[in-house]
Amino acid sequence: MRLPNLLREAANTAWATKVPSALIVLLVAVMCAATLATVGRTAAAEAQLYERLDSAGARVLTVTEPSHDSYELINAATIGQTGALSSTERALGTITAIDVVNGEIGEGGERVPAWGIYGNLENVVTMEEGRWPQPGEALVSAEAMDRLNLDAPVGWVEQATSNPMEDWAIVGTFSPRDPFGDYTAGIVYPVSPDQPAATTLHVVLHDANHAGPAQSAVLQLLDPPATDHLTVQSPMSMAQLQDELTGDFTTFGRTLLLGVLAGGAFLVAIVVLADVLVRRKDLGRRRALGASRGVIVGLVLLRTMVPALLGAGAGVAGGLAMARSFEAQPPWEFTAGTAVLAVLAACVFAVIPAIYAATRDPVAVLRTP
Amino acid sequence: MLSIQDLTFRYRRGREELFDDLSYFFEPGKVTVVTGASGRGKSTLLYVLGLMLTPLRGTVTLDGQDVSAAPDAERSRIRAESIGFVFQDSVLDATRTILDSVIEPALYAGWKQGAAQEQGWELLDQMGVGHRADHKPGEISGGQAQRVAVCRSLVTDPAVVLADEPTGNLDQANAEGVLNALSAAAGLGEIARTVVIATHDPFVIEFADEVLAL
Repeated sequence: MRLPNLLREAANTAWATKVPSALIVLLVAVMCAATLATVGRTAAAEAQLYERLDSAGARVLTVTEPSHDSYELINAATIGQTGALSSTERALGTITAIDVVNGEIGEGGERVPAWGIYGNLENVVTMEEGRWPQPGEALVSAEAMDRLNLDAPVGWVEQATSNPMEDWAIVGTFSPRDPFGDYTAGIVYPVSPDQPAATTLHVVLHDANHAGPAQSAVLQLLDPPATDHLTVQSPMSMAQLQDELTGDFTTFGRTLLLGVLAGGAFLVAIVVLADVLVRRKDLGRRRALGASRGVIVGLVLLRTMVPALLGAGAGVAGGLAMARSFEAQPPWEFTAGTAVLAVLAACVFAVIPAIYAATRDPVAVLRTP
Repeated sequence: MLSIQDLTFRYRRGREELFDDLSYFFEPGKVTVVTGASGRGKSTLLYVLGLMLTPLRGTVTLDGQDVSAAPDAERSRIRAESIGFVFQDSVLDATRTILDSVIEPALYAGWKQGAAQEQGWELLDQMGVGHRADHKPGEISGGQAQRVAVCRSLVTDPAVVLADEPTGNLDQANAEGVLNALSAAAGLGEIARTVVIATHDPFVIEFADEVLAL
């Protein structure tokens, strides 16, 4: 039998037997909707959590050298070498933050923190207004501008001491880049080239999973005189947590998905079996008129697939609507995969009733009133 | 050409053996009527000839080939292409049109839909039921339904037509119409066709060229 004729026969049969077809539509729709509303929600939650765990803040390796016992390990050379590592997205050094006040007001003014950046300032902040600062100049955040009583990003700030050693001219405003959100409270300035070394090295990695090898590489570059000379804060535990959570989510989602699909497909198989039993005379006639067992199996499977496709469409629409109300939209790959899996599961479970139909004795069926 | 050699059949759960090494040559272009008392296996012989039942012993030969022991797929192909069936109660698909029912065997034989419909129309017109082609089986009479069944049995221009009590549910006028159609079928088409009718109705024997009594 030609495939177009088989498809036409299957569609006609599905249309002619409306009750089982409607039941298959309903079951597959429920399978898809339930999967998207439960497993899809889990998948969306997993995606959100993964996104959070993969944010720059969760990918920062921080190495601190005590300023009172400095070997000047975090210097221009080591920061540059760290930035050149394949696992590194950005690398920069900072010196210990100090308090500054509006230079016009003096020591009595409100204090804001000032961070000296060793390396490219563009790695830390985005300039909003003005120009990039030179040594002796600084950028101020909008929040700090308010606290310093500055109407515009002009003027100057000085160390908040009775005998200030340094001051900086304000030449613009900034907003901090992730993961340096704390800097929104103060000002940033480029460290003078006279400053021999930074106290803290911040390494933003491409992936938290690279934390282990990256930490080893950075420590090799810095080459501390003693293992406890440097303090290291690593995202390794975050990467481990990410792996564990991903594993848990995957196992849970897979179990739930299999349960929903297997349960729904089992019910589809019962509907198809009942349909085959009711239509035994029709199938017997087809066999007597020359339909092979393969044609009968194909006919039953395609007759199941036609309403299953309709059900998958309806179920996806319903499931997405439910997922939207939970504010956890599953990824499109998951949605498409669910529809395909639901149709496949329905068809696979319909194989047994299809084979049953194909192997009935047509003579016994036709001669039984 | 259809023949049987030393044929014996037994149902799987039965003990009684039927036909007792029966041999017979069904002559092409003639109507052979199989008669006999109830339980002698008239219908069973038709189903054996139609390759739906496998004999216990002996062979069914079609065009010189032993087809009785062929694999199921091959027997299905032969049924679709070379054997037409007419059942006692026509067995038409109640959900489809008359034309759809007529072309069913042609579709199983791998014909294109258009070619099958063309052949179906021609046969329905020949049998005088062309005007009912778009009707459903529930909308035509029993006699018309049986003539439609004859059309269906001829749609692939088969070498053999097997009819199991084709007039069992018809009055004499309708029965005569169906039997005339089957007699005509023996000589219809490009080759002389073998027509075998199983019946216990003496009226049918009047239309027989040969009689096989079981």
